[in-house]
Amino acid sequence: MKVTVYGTKTCIWCVKTREFLKEHKIKFNDIDIEKSKKAEKIMIKISGQEGFPVIDIGGKIVLGYDKDKLRRLLAKK
Amino acid sequence: MKDKNEKYDFIIIGAGVAGLAAAMYGARLGLKTLCLGYTHSSELSIGGVITTTNIVENYPGFIKLSGSELAEAIEKHAKSYELVTILEEKVIDVEKIKKDFSVKTENNEYIGKTILFATGTKWRKLEVPGSNEFENKGVAYCALCDAPLFKNKIVGLVGGSDSAAKDALVLAEHAKKVYIIYRGQEIRPEPINLKRVYDKVKIGKIEIINNANVKEIKGSKFIEKVILDREFNGSKELALQGLFIAIGHIALTDLAKNLGVNLDKKGEIILDHKTSETNLPGVFGAGDCADKPFKQAITGVAEGCTAAYSAYEYVNNHLKG
Repeated sequence: MKVTVYGTKTCIWCVKTREFLKEHKIKFNDIDIEKSKKAEKIMIKISGQEGFPVIDIGGKIVLGYDKDKLRRLLAKK
Repeated sequence: MKDKNEKYDFIIIGAGVAGLAAAMYGARLGLKTLCLGYTHSSELSIGGVITTTNIVENYPGFIKLSGSELAEAIEKHAKSYELVTILEEKVIDVEKIKKDFSVKTENNEYIGKTILFATGTKWRKLEVPGSNEFENKGVAYCALCDAPLFKNKIVGLVGGSDSAAKDALVLAEHAKKVYIIYRGQEIRPEPINLKRVYDKVKIGKIEIINNANVKEIKGSKFIEKVILDREFNGSKELALQGLFIAIGHIALTDLAKNLGVNLDKKGEIILDHKTSETNLPGVFGAGDCADKPFKQAITGVAEGCTAAYSAYEYVNNHLKG
């Protein structure tokens, strides 16, 4: 299952999300939206909002650093 | 469930800089210390509110560093003591049981001889029509987190404090233009940040709208404009693509209140500022959830250290009689 994190380097919850995924040895695409307008548009399109981070887990979208939801969705991997 | 017989001398609820500093100091005083923090986007992470600050220039010993770097340094310092345990768990209840305190988290229960509430604050929401509807659809609370999304856009910033000014400066790095919308006559940041704001005003990057309130937020899918309670440039409508809110914080003190800790009118923990004691023996407070008007990382850290010393006194003198 493909995991993608949309965020920035300065957002604390983006940092925490990346740490959480690394801690659980989950491979993920790390998209810095500051570097890509196209990625920003994709993030807004798939999440319908503008908050960070957005995590796409095989098409299921998690808004924000929601550890419980991340655990649930990643357990199904 | 962990072993309930494992008793801590000092349980700290909250892992912002006040809580982490208290943990470090508690360990130095020989207290077996547990510090509980909870991380979620809607709450403050370990490290606390300072992690949402771009640049810290007023913490002695560091000329300039990010809030996250400061929090990490204090966390690392606390963790360097074997007597300190820091866990990411959400506390749901605190109860007095004979001489001790039971601290229940979502999955565990811990017993402590003393308690420190360093539970911090949450952002105060702007309560106007459209603010909930457009949250994360243009309405945001963390400039450091979300400013990059507003590159070359026109944004508003509601507030006039030092934090609001710092947020406006972060936004000005990304946005085309930032309107500071402030209810008072003149924004009131620290003079150094006021100067920085006016440097941006001079080049047209920031414009300040004083004596104004946002009455309503309007848009379709995302925010498009706000309605002000007075005319600005001949209209009460101000076209914006983002609106950041920096109108202060609300103390997170429900756990303390439920235990019987006295709070002031603002819901902040009333402390004896010499000792960081609350009205309840063995219960202390520190940081932004407490009733000091000047809330800074350095003052929260000081209150945490004071609380650790008072907890040490309590454990060694009061409990041992």
